[in-house]
Amino acid sequence: MERKLKDFTSLSASALCALQGNCGWSLCEAEMLAAQKYFKTIGRAPTQAEMETVAQTWSEHCKHKTFNDPISFQNGNKKELIKEGLFKSTVYKATKKLNKKWCLSVFKDNAGVIEFGKDKKWALAFKAETHNHPCAVEPYGGAETGVGGVVRDILGVGLGAKPVVNTDIFCFAPPNYSKKLPPAALHPKRIINGVIDGVRDYGNRLGIPTAAGAVWYDDDFALNPLVFVGTIGIMPTWAVHKKVYPGDLVVAIGGRTGRDGLHGATFSSAVIEDASEVSAVQIGHAINEKKVLDAMMKLQAKKLYRAVTDCGAGGFSSAIGELGSECGVNIDLKKAILKESKIQPWEIWVSESQERMILCVPPKNLKAVEKILKAEDCEYAVLGKFTKTNKLEVYFGKDKIVDLDNYFLHGGVPKIVRRAIWQTPKLKASKLNLPAKKYGELLQKCLANLNACSREAIIRQYDHEVQGGTVVKPLQGIKHDGPGDASVIWPVSATGNQKDFNGFAVSHGINPEIGKSDPYQMALNCCDEAVRNLLCVGADINKTAFLDNFCWGSPENPKLMGALVLTAKGCYDGALAYGAPFISGKDSFYNQSKDAAGKDLPVPSTILISATAPVYDVRRAITMDLKEAGNDLYIVGLTKDELGRSTAAQILGIKDTFVPVVDAKSALAAYKKIYGAMQKGLIKTAHDLSQGGLAGALAEMAFSGGLGAEINLNALPCKGKLSDGQKLFSESASRIILEASPKDAAAISKALKGSVFVKIGKVSEGKKLVVKYGKKEIIAQDINKLKKSWQSTAVM
Amino acid sequence: MKKKAKALVVRTAGINCDIETKLALEKAGAVAELIHTNEITSGKTKILNYDILIFPGGFSYGDDIAGGKIWSVHIDKVYADVKKFIDSGRPVMGICNGFQVLTKLGFLPESKDKKQTASLTFNDSGVFIDKWVELKVNKNSPCIFTKNLNDIIELPIAHGEGKIVIDDKTVLEELKKNNYIPLTYVDNPNGSVLDIAGVCNKRGNCFGLMPHPERYASPLHHPSWTRPQMQKVKAAGLEFFKNAVEYLKD
Repeated sequence: MERKLKDFTSLSASALCALQGNCGWSLCEAEMLAAQKYFKTIGRAPTQAEMETVAQTWSEHCKHKTFNDPISFQNGNKKELIKEGLFKSTVYKATKKLNKKWCLSVFKDNAGVIEFGKDKKWALAFKAETHNHPCAVEPYGGAETGVGGVVRDILGVGLGAKPVVNTDIFCFAPPNYSKKLPPAALHPKRIINGVIDGVRDYGNRLGIPTAAGAVWYDDDFALNPLVFVGTIGIMPTWAVHKKVYPGDLVVAIGGRTGRDGLHGATFSSAVIEDASEVSAVQIGHAINEKKVLDAMMKLQAKKLYRAVTDCGAGGFSSAIGELGSECGVNIDLKKAILKESKIQPWEIWVSESQERMILCVPPKNLKAVEKILKAEDCEYAVLGKFTKTNKLEVYFGKDKIVDLDNYFLHGGVPKIVRRAIWQTPKLKASKLNLPAKKYGELLQKCLANLNACSREAIIRQYDHEVQGGTVVKPLQGIKHDGPGDASVIWPVSATGNQKDFNGFAVSHGINPEIGKSDPYQMALNCCDEAVRNLLCVGADINKTAFLDNFCWGSPENPKLMGALVLTAKGCYDGALAYGAPFISGKDSFYNQSKDAAGKDLPVPSTILISATAPVYDVRRAITMDLKEAGNDLYIVGLTKDELGRSTAAQILGIKDTFVPVVDAKSALAAYKKIYGAMQKGLIKTAHDLSQGGLAGALAEMAFSGGLGAEINLNALPCKGKLSDGQKLFSESASRIILEASPKDAAAISKALKGSVFVKIGKVSEGKKLVVKYGKKEIIAQDINKLKKSWQSTAVM
Repeated sequence: MKKKAKALVVRTAGINCDIETKLALEKAGAVAELIHTNEITSGKTKILNYDILIFPGGFSYGDDIAGGKIWSVHIDKVYADVKKFIDSGRPVMGICNGFQVLTKLGFLPESKDKKQTASLTFNDSGVFIDKWVELKVNKNSPCIFTKNLNDIIELPIAHGEGKIVIDDKTVLEELKKNNYIPLTYVDNPNGSVLDIAGVCNKRGNCFGLMPHPERYASPLHHPSWTRPQMQKVKAAGLEFFKNAVEYLKD
């Protein structure tokens, strides 16, 4: 019944390319030729299931070829050959070099795993995924299954972790986008609402708090939104590693297999065109996943299986293929539980139907496993067993439909040298001199800017408190509506110990705008912002762990590749500078489509840095809202002429000026001192300076605390001579505002000695934000009015 | 020493507030077990062997059809046991999804012949909402869970279907007159009739509410706990569970 690709071994190169195009495999000529060579060697033609397996295993989505292939890079006049590829020469290299003892499992499993809490009893697993392509064509379903997929990554890391928090970061075009769209494209507003609804309906039903995130708006995300979804789980240390033993049974649990999600992996490895396969988007069912989650936690606690992984991109083919890659595996697809009877065997094999996990169960444990699965209403099927043959063998009843050697399948993908070029754009000094009265107006506009304004309308739709562990919430302050820098999770729902106050913070850094001028600085700024956000809630930034998510257009475009190389180099330098290893990462390419005029529109090259660090006693966590009138306000860090790509620059149309350049070494030294002051209990409030610069950050702190503030710019530490406008709105990196009691002034000076800091003002009783230079008043704004501006913009 | 009160927290596919409810009960001095509905309907676990019965929050069976509908059909199989449990005066609380179940089975508002007199339906806003709300405590209510609380307390809500509607005016009148409405919203977040946030039975031992007391079992749960004014404020949600444990001691 399997269609043999009869003439495969004798086809010409062009005929091979035509064949892969018709079948939607997203393989290139060199890859098709490599496959042909293998089948010539074994002396037979492939089956369709075999070629589907090869296409899925070798897809960009599963194999990350762009990050592993050699790159020839031309940066201005300088030429460089990156022989071992970007992954090994940047993110992975940094992690290896840092060699942190608290990294327990990095870059080899479904998520990165680090130590958590005291006594080495617990471990923390973190993974962030993207689901961009599905969300472009079917936003609701795409977002739902994005959440489902990353949660299963956490269930499938080591022997499974309990998910305790979800993160969501979106890049959209504005909801009021008015440019012409190509006929098949969905309007950004529809995409935004679909994605938010999908994350809500799936995440809420799973009972995992969606408690940290970000949204970035840019017109160029109109055709290709970016949807990042992350999950952190907690697991006992003994569950960090898995091992597959020959003889163990292959048990599929959870959802049934259907024709949804065919070619998802290969679909995500190509440019979206009109005729894109909508059946490539899977159909999610949150309650099936919740059953799997509940059952898995029971099976894990009883140690009934020895390895597990999730069925994600590539379905059974990927999950079972990977588990069996070091020994061999023998499967009968006739045993799978199906959604429909007309499905073809190869479709069962590569279907990406949701909510499925594969367990490796020793035969003696099968009865106990079955008992728990039945009690939890969780369907399952024993599909086969692991072998010692080093082969992937798949049957449908008596028909053998796949018989491939592991060496070919997992090691046979040919390497291609990729081309990357970059020409650094010329940037200049900025000018920002407005009449004093105009600065208040500019502040209002900055606060109302889509990339700075309140995200409350989205956050409230997410159950960010379920499990009772979100102790620093995304919305903070006296009215519970201020913008927190990071969330702090106290994972009692996983540890069960209410007397153990260990927790962790989770934060993000994202700024594709800076990347348009300087991709290297984009990466460094994102690393810096992620670390700074962790610090602002009182986390120990000496133990920061990073995750990278690269979202790019086509890797066949050398200019985009140039930006990619520089961003990856920025990640490398950022990780080393902050002593923060990357523990997991993911890339997504081909985020581009033809616009209404038929021109390629790639997304702005985007790196997301997710970060986590421990909070040893969550009772000492810190928030960003001003606490008490009379307290002192300090600024730490240097303000420079760096308005380039800032919120104010976009509002005022200032172009091609210097973007923030990170001095990571002095930043980290200052952060460590601030952390020391926090440990001594000297810091009441901390907030990072980001969109809107100094003025924006102060306004947020004031209206979130329901208190006024008065600062003076004459003491502000600056590099060179800056105008009032530059001081207020420059978005220089590595700056933090702190609030402390006047009685601690001497102690603060001692704790921060050696870093750039100054007392800039005081918290005041009145409801006014006042900024002066000497005696001249530059801004005097009612905090409620500022808050209103910040809350008035429609984000969806 | 007297034995600790034994609480049964009923769970099923899609219930997701079970663990924090168990933790709150433990903090209040009870021992708590999480038991799947299948174990109860199959007779393996007997409700009547416990001292406290809690139907926690979540999205049972995805809230397909309506919030708590399918779960209530399953619980209906052991209706007689639940009824006996309530009639024996032991504490029963339905939180959020659990409240929806008690409503669907006619336990709340208390009715004759299993008649459902109230319904919890979609919020007026049309969307799920997670936020902290102020609640007014009715001091004259017989409800055993809300004894000795402050006049105004804060708890989080997290629901898409939390608007209580009661068609029958006499039912509404009875609830009001007899103080069977222990909690009302200060600023109605979902469109509930008479700002109702929770309802109890005549004896006060069976109580359902949309807000989540288990999510305020520690001062750290409050969104403003880092503010100086909050340093001495007690976690109001924990009191609900403590009250149930205390009540059993008398």
